[in-house]
Amino acid sequence: MRFDIRPGVRRLLRFPIRTRATIKRDADEELETLIACRVEHLMARGMSADDARAEAMRRLGASVDQVRHQLHTNADQRERRMRIVDFVESVMQDVRYAARGLARRPAFTAVAVLTLAIGVGATTAIFSALNVLILRPLPYARPDELMKASLVLPAEGGHPTLTVGFAYPTYTALRSLQHSFTIFAAYTAEPVTLTSGDVERIWDEYISASYLRTLGLAPAWGRDFDRALDAHAGAPHEAIISYALWQRRFNADPSTIGRIIDIDRAPWTIIGVGPREFRGLSGQADVFLPVTAIAADLQRPGTSMLSIVARRAPGVTTLRAAEEMSTLGGRLANEFPNRMGKLKWEVSASALDALRLEPLVRQSLLVLFGAACLVLGIAAVNVASLLLGRASARRREIAVRVAMGAGRGRLVRLLLAESLMLALLGGIASIGVAWMGAHFLASVDPIAVFRGMRQSAATIGAVAFSSIALDWHTLGFALATSLVVGLLFGLTPALHSSRASVSDVLKSDRTVTGVSFGRRILVVTQVALALVLLVGSGLMVRSLAKLLSVDVGFDKSNLLTFSVDPVDPIAEEALPGFYSRILDRVRAVPGVADVALDSCVPFAPTCARLPLLQKAGPVPEYDYEKVSGMEVVTPNWFSLMHVRLVRGRAFLPTDRRGGPSVVLLTESAAKMFFGADDPIGKHISLGQQIKDAEVIGIVSDVRQVPDSAPGAITYFPSTQSPQQQMLVFVRTMRDPATIASGLRKAVHEVAPQLALSDMQTMSQREGRATAQNRFRAMLLSAFALAALLLAAIGIYGVLSFAVTVRTRELGIRIALGAEPGNVQRLVIGEGLALVTVGIVLGLAGAFAGARLLRSFLFELTPSDPVTYLAIVVVLGVTAVLASWVPGLRASRVDPVIALRAE
Amino acid sequence: MAMLRGTLDPLVLKTVSWSPMHAFEITNWIEERSEGHVQIDDAALLQALHRLEDRRYIAGEWGVTENGRRAKYYRITAAGRDYLRTEGARLVDHLGAVISILSAKTSKSRG
Repeated sequence: MRFDIRPGVRRLLRFPIRTRATIKRDADEELETLIACRVEHLMARGMSADDARAEAMRRLGASVDQVRHQLHTNADQRERRMRIVDFVESVMQDVRYAARGLARRPAFTAVAVLTLAIGVGATTAIFSALNVLILRPLPYARPDELMKASLVLPAEGGHPTLTVGFAYPTYTALRSLQHSFTIFAAYTAEPVTLTSGDVERIWDEYISASYLRTLGLAPAWGRDFDRALDAHAGAPHEAIISYALWQRRFNADPSTIGRIIDIDRAPWTIIGVGPREFRGLSGQADVFLPVTAIAADLQRPGTSMLSIVARRAPGVTTLRAAEEMSTLGGRLANEFPNRMGKLKWEVSASALDALRLEPLVRQSLLVLFGAACLVLGIAAVNVASLLLGRASARRREIAVRVAMGAGRGRLVRLLLAESLMLALLGGIASIGVAWMGAHFLASVDPIAVFRGMRQSAATIGAVAFSSIALDWHTLGFALATSLVVGLLFGLTPALHSSRASVSDVLKSDRTVTGVSFGRRILVVTQVALALVLLVGSGLMVRSLAKLLSVDVGFDKSNLLTFSVDPVDPIAEEALPGFYSRILDRVRAVPGVADVALDSCVPFAPTCARLPLLQKAGPVPEYDYEKVSGMEVVTPNWFSLMHVRLVRGRAFLPTDRRGGPSVVLLTESAAKMFFGADDPIGKHISLGQQIKDAEVIGIVSDVRQVPDSAPGAITYFPSTQSPQQQMLVFVRTMRDPATIASGLRKAVHEVAPQLALSDMQTMSQREGRATAQNRFRAMLLSAFALAALLLAAIGIYGVLSFAVTVRTRELGIRIALGAEPGNVQRLVIGEGLALVTVGIVLGLAGAFAGARLLRSFLFELTPSDPVTYLAIVVVLGVTAVLASWVPGLRASRVDPVIALRAE
Repeated sequence: MAMLRGTLDPLVLKTVSWSPMHAFEITNWIEERSEGHVQIDDAALLQALHRLEDRRYIAGEWGVTENGRRAKYYRITAAGRDYLRTEGARLVDHLGAVISILSAKTSKSRG
């Protein structure tokens, strides 16, 4: 059928718009005619030409130029108004058209909106975390002026760079010597026991009186410390409590100011309540006490725990301030020598903002954001593919519009309106997904867990996952991202189809003859991106599985631990009796199999590590590598934990105070300090406390943290060197969580004045110790699954489209005797071919990308072949499944119907 | 005499409702009909014509005068007739009220 429109007809169909110039020319001509007519009229009545002209000018009411100008201005104004009205009308038309189009194809709309929601939602959720943890300014006045100084011990002989706190004299010396900062403050966080009312373990911060002022904060209630307190040691016992503690323990009562609280049995007067939400730079403090109140203790050599935070003076750059601190540090290093090695201490100062996150957490977040962006990419590709498919299905409609005289710009706008509306719907849906994601992120809080384990002097704890929430930035991010996706991926199909040649399209009977090359490329891209994500998550999951299945050296099941700490110190002779009463009472609690004591928290590298010296051998140089953990345990601890005695003898009840000192070594310790020699019978000393103890046996290795190799540990019997603060290990006969409250009651019956804290099952401790790994594995897996699903949808979409447009060809094949199975294999083969290309490209990307994950992997290389193989199989199976349904439909094409349709 | 505000549009509409006219025919017709009492500034007339055309009360089309000049002839549209009906009636009411106020007899002391 020949179909063409005569040019004249086409012009008629176009909306006639007079140009601005014609309108003005018309107005001028009309004015001339009016004047001329009047002149003629007057002259016809006998007036002279000059008089007639003068009279006509008078009747005009103004000069010709003025009138002309007036008419032109009016015309311009009308024209402008018209254009706006026209534009609004045409936009409304586009919107109505788009809405109608989307409503007519609910399946297409739902898939596209959902796809966008997943892609944009995931990215937005991670962005909200980035926003809070990395991008948003710290919640202090002019945070860019704040700097933190740390004492750094440079890397030496195999030990890594160590960041520690300042000793009090170093801090005061720095404070008086420096010129870069207008205000200088110190703080240190420490766990203390609140002994008034319900006994509770909380964190305090010993701070200089200038602390809150340095941060630009003021107490929410009451007053700040007097700055004069910083001048010398011996401040009065005054305290500022956190807003949270004020609400929790004092019901936000204003009369709290002036009350006394007991901290570690000492009375402190509350003078203020900290700012709302403020928990100190450590991020967990509930009380703030003046550091000068304990300055006498801090003068002791070897106490170095203060962190310094200071505000730069105007005009001093971060670099110059850091240089000054480093120079002063060099001078002070001579006065306060480093007792731990040959190298001198250094002072390093950096912007507070740079220290807000552990580098590993920052890296995790960035990797996750990258992963989320990949998901977004796949989602965007899906939407583009859907739009392309829709555009090619509508080529005929578009050709008719072009034939009817629709301009190209108008057409692009029409098609773009649809994708933008889709993007807007997707953006709104994605906010729901992002909200759930942000909620989830706020609840896992891998940093708080991390911080509890490893008190790091290098970073601050002021930013927390728990404050992750959607704000205007994130909402804006979600909408902007979806609009950009909609615009970018809607524009290509729109431009593509508006270029369609009218007669070509209208001449052909079938609208499309095959799936465009572009759509195939899109599917290949999707598969490749999905593979990269799947490999990433596969590596994380396998790494986590390895971590969880690693032999930690003791039996983790049905084990519960809690910390006990006598509020009043107990005399050393009385300690064994005190603890045996507690153990006997706990053992009597129903469900308890056995009870033991250990001085160290399991799965937390918080225990003392000291150099072990052989009595006979030479005194070695201090070596960071050659240290042993020191744990004080009850004799039954080994049997309770299922730690084997390898050689020698175990602790016996006869190993008492006053008798010869005995120790047990782990196999690692024996190997580290004695090599091939037999340590049994040798005498050792460890730190200041243990001198001349005999090694009586060797026990199997125990890991202090799941993700590092077992270190050397030396065990001492609690019967010989009792400790005030101990951890109670309870082996239960059933789920330990069920008897937790019974245990608490039992302990308080025997010892009411005992701070009982940190009660956790071993699986909870393990969960916390591996929280970072779980967090990464879980999120990456979620992203990878989303990617797999989206890629499957992409493959399915392209193949079912291909089957639809090839109905006739398939019909002929079947009519000529092709088996249905063959036809189905044909379609599945096409799907597999696309996936294979995608897999090859994706493997290359994954090999490169997986290197970024190296620092997150536990006993696994980034090119782990098992992971890659498994992922390729998963993708292959997914491809077959996604092609199955279109293949089945192809094999059921009825040749009669397929051919009659022509 | 200056035109009373709001009277020009109904006057023009009324004029072109007789037959299509160009600008000079309109002003001349009004002047003759009012025996020279109502004279419209040509500038004001042209603006009124363009305004009315923009509002689709009148429609203009180029034609040729008997003297062979190109001129724009305006005719009233359906919307223009509707407007004239309501606005004309309102204007008549208003002017009637003005007349009754001005022609009322005043007291002698103020006279």
